[in-house]
Amino acid sequence: MVQEKLAFEPFSLEPIRLIDPEGRWIAPFPHGLPEQTLRQFYRDMLAARLLDEKLVILLRTGKTSFIAPHAGHEAAQVGVAHALRRGHDWLFPYYRDLGLVLALGVPLVEIFGQTLGNAKDPAKGRQMPSHPGSRPLNVFTVCSAIASHIPPATGAALSMKLCRTGQVAVCTFGDGATSEGDWHAGVNFAAVQKAPVVFVCENNRYAISVNIALQTASPNIAIKAQAYGMPGYYVDGLDVLASYFVVRHAVEQARAGAGPSLVELVVHRFGPHSSADDDSRYKSQEEREAERQQDPLLRYQRFLEREGLWDARWASSLRAELLGELEAALQTALAAGEPEPLQMFDDVYATRPWHLEEQRRLLAEELKP
Amino acid sequence: MPTLNLIQAINLALDEEMRRDERVVILGEDVGRRGGVFLATEGLQAKYGPDRVMDTPLAEAAIIGAAVGMAAHGLRPVAEIQFADYVFPGIDQLFSQAAKLRYRSGGQFTAPMVVRMPTGGGVKGGHHHSQSPEAHFAHTPGLKVVVVSTPYDAKGLLKAAIRDDDPVVFMEPKRLYRAVKEEVPAEEYLLPIGQAAIRREGRDLTIVSYGGSMVEVLKAAEEMAAVGLEAEVIDLRSVLPWDKPTVLASVAKTGRLLVVAEAPRTASVASEIAATVAEELFDQMLAPPLRVTGFDTPYPLAQDKLYMPTVTRILNAAKRLIDY
Ligand SMILES: Cc1ncc(C[n+]2csc(CCOP(=O)(O)OP(=O)(O)O)c2C)c(N)n1
Repeated sequence: MVQEKLAFEPFSLEPIRLIDPEGRWIAPFPHGLPEQTLRQFYRDMLAARLLDEKLVILLRTGKTSFIAPHAGHEAAQVGVAHALRRGHDWLFPYYRDLGLVLALGVPLVEIFGQTLGNAKDPAKGRQMPSHPGSRPLNVFTVCSAIASHIPPATGAALSMKLCRTGQVAVCTFGDGATSEGDWHAGVNFAAVQKAPVVFVCENNRYAISVNIALQTASPNIAIKAQAYGMPGYYVDGLDVLASYFVVRHAVEQARAGAGPSLVELVVHRFGPHSSADDDSRYKSQEEREAERQQDPLLRYQRFLEREGLWDARWASSLRAELLGELEAALQTALAAGEPEPLQMFDDVYATRPWHLEEQRRLLAEELKP
Repeated sequence: MPTLNLIQAINLALDEEMRRDERVVILGEDVGRRGGVFLATEGLQAKYGPDRVMDTPLAEAAIIGAAVGMAAHGLRPVAEIQFADYVFPGIDQLFSQAAKLRYRSGGQFTAPMVVRMPTGGGVKGGHHHSQSPEAHFAHTPGLKVVVVSTPYDAKGLLKAAIRDDDPVVFMEPKRLYRAVKEEVPAEEYLLPIGQAAIRREGRDLTIVSYGGSMVEVLKAAEEMAAVGLEAEVIDLRSVLPWDKPTVLASVAKTGRLLVVAEAPRTASVASEIAATVAEELFDQMLAPPLRVTGFDTPYPLAQDKLYMPTVTRILNAAKRLIDY
């Protein structure tokens, strides 16, 4: 009964929204979530925002070379993080998902270690910042090559189906990713095989400078699902509860054997594409200000206020607590130091072949004081 | 004569060619409104309109494949791949279509197009913004492969590439984009694809290199000169076809060959040159040819500086050649 009410209409013309901009619950069902969960969503969104701000400082002070801001994506990312079973289901994220992997439990020290490319990076400093991954938490390592993780997400889901593990793969990406061949190949294959995978588009309507109108002629991203024979949900991604309930629905459908679906979470990207970008070249001041007005944190705060769960003192002590956690993790990561240079030759293969052994010896010789 | 950096020289070449020939069109991710993430196409959409400078969907297969069709139909497309590392989703179009169209069709169809891409490391870009994939292209019959190292060359070679009747992969070392400046004539000039440049004359050994590594090679050559060792430095500029006569003549004179490039060592362009020289000049050489290259690992962010050929590594190899 409740389950039925929680089911969502695919291919709606208006984005699915459960909280309006004034913070009113406008869904036809009660949210039924305990206070603690509602507060946790806020905590995770705020943590994501503060992490983003911290990364900007790291960039400005020259401690990192690159960031991909996620401010504006918090509601979508926190919604996704809570919709899957932590450490059981798999996440195939993309580079803008630091808020998502944080909410999923990837330790801040690892996030900073990866950002600094130092000894606290579980991936040993191979990739640029914003490329997390965690084997213990089933977070597939991010790859810079857009959409290259879509077919692997399908494959992992097929494996889950074959091995009857009851797991689901959740795969996130931007709107630009939906133009790549890999996206179509992976989504199509998943649909044909009814693989337990949920494709989630964090649609901020820009791929670097290219507006969605030049990216796709579809009226939205969700509708593309129709062509592949699976449901597509068009969702207000500035609404954390809409993001959460719709993705949860899709995840549970997949888990029950109903096959994949595509969830489009429409968001804003408040910052530039990355630290290498200048968004004033292609977004007007007005557009950027209008986006900022629709802050997902503010909307959720209004909702919590109406529920009697938010007050300024709680929020400011939460902020202080989170800032403390961020700073402590950052200091631990900063203290870790450079990764050992000869690690460069590890992990190319399971065991080092002769030619890498030889090259490693040469470098070791060179590095002798 | 204006003093330009590499990116400005590329912009100028594109501008001149678009003005000269209406068939020249540009397509790629962010090339229009933004002017390219490195600003190579800055101002061109404002000048020539969105039909001739086209922001495309994020799809390299579409960019390269569409360029093939445009070229076959009569245009002269210049496709931009945002980073060389992202050519791979478009590689089927480049390898199966562009490279072999002339051959497969018995010369009935051709693909006169340019695929430009920033290449190489040294910018703290980590793995997927640092690779040097030229050997993949050079191993593909039907493509020409240019890797520039100076603004002057970039302008002359890009203009030549656009007028070339075959597909040309045009690689631009991103760490040089703003690092090198020189006088670039505002007038029209073309440089032939396939011709190397002798950057420095010398009698003691030949150093063959190209692209980003030219910086370290020239520094090393200066340090050698300070101790009386004269290296002849050759900048290949085109790695396919490469300028065999210039390289052979030089090694015939010096008797020693060092090839320097930052791509991984095995099955590389450096290997090809070393092997060819060994085959042709074995009995005139005073030492076996040596290579200084990137390691056979994926490109690592944390060891950025150690990965690429360093001046010290070049000097050590030169010493080995001399002491042999
Ligand atoms: C295959 C590939 N081509 C190009 C790039 C360069 N690039 C990095 S991010 C990006 C835009 C991606 O936009 P979108 O998928 O909408 O995600 P968003 O950044 O907006 O969250 C581009 C073109 C890349 N990383 N991979």
